[in-house]
Amino acid sequence: MAGPDPESFLPLPQAQFHVLVALTEGDKHGYAIMQAVERSSNGVVRMGPATLYGTLKRLVDHGLADELPGRPAPGDDQRRRYYRLSGLGRQVCAAEADRLAGLVRMTRRNLRPRMT
Amino acid sequence: MSARHPLYRSLLRLYPKDFRTVYGEDLLQHFGDLVTHMGAPAAWARTGIDFVVTVPRYQLETIMTERDSDRALYITLTVFTAGGALSFLAGFGPGIVLLVAAILVAIAQRGTLARSIRTPDASRRRRRLTIAAALAVICAASMVSYARAISRPHVSGTSLILHNAIGVPALIGAIVYLIAGLFTPKAPAAGPGTVSRVL
Repeated sequence: MAGPDPESFLPLPQAQFHVLVALTEGDKHGYAIMQAVERSSNGVVRMGPATLYGTLKRLVDHGLADELPGRPAPGDDQRRRYYRLSGLGRQVCAAEADRLAGLVRMTRRNLRPRMT
Repeated sequence: MSARHPLYRSLLRLYPKDFRTVYGEDLLQHFGDLVTHMGAPAAWARTGIDFVVTVPRYQLETIMTERDSDRALYITLTVFTAGGALSFLAGFGPGIVLLVAAILVAIAQRGTLARSIRTPDASRRRRRLTIAAALAVICAASMVSYARAISRPHVSGTSLILHNAIGVPALIGAIVYLIAGLFTPKAPAAGPGTVSRVL
């Protein structure tokens, strides 16, 4: 059975895209995701706890991320819940990145000083 | 949940129950990490803004889900009808607008109402009938108190309005929930080989 079309999730809300990008680095728990989002956005995007977990809930509900039943490594914090990018989440993340890249290309082209 | 950060733990109760049940412990731990790494003032500044934005949003999302929208619809109809009836009884003519609004809402949402009432669900039926019974008890108590009040030689207008303010909404609510409860079919018992419906 064919899964949902990744394009149907676009445009992805900013918070969801940032979390998916953070998960492309590897499995993470909530606090590590928040730190990764801050790092990747140069501190511009600062997620509060409820925004983060609300976003994670949506991603898990839509099948874009999976909650891991165990901990990725023996040294990891046993109290925390870890999340992993799903196959669909990877496709959606790539599709959103392509969409944004196209937008950036068009913006740069339009803003380029024109030779008269 | 841990005994740390009692204020934040108390505030978490304002989130919808489903969200709180699944993520309450994570939110508390996350807040603890923020306090450890940023200090309490910065942690509260970030969490406070997040809290103010997400509580109404998540509550609204919960209400908008199909299951809770039924409840919101019943409450809206009860409040509008009771408010309109109460205003009418108190001699406030424009209150009739609320009655008209209740009728318009019921007509506009007739499909949702019909579907909600016809959905076989034993627990939902029981809950509606329980609410109807509770409201009927409140209404009866209010009526008894009202009868006693008017039997006295001197009775204040405020006292009568107060009795109506409790009794009329309770009566209308009891009728709305009683109708909804009586028309909700019982769910068929799940026998061997039967796949029960999971909401």
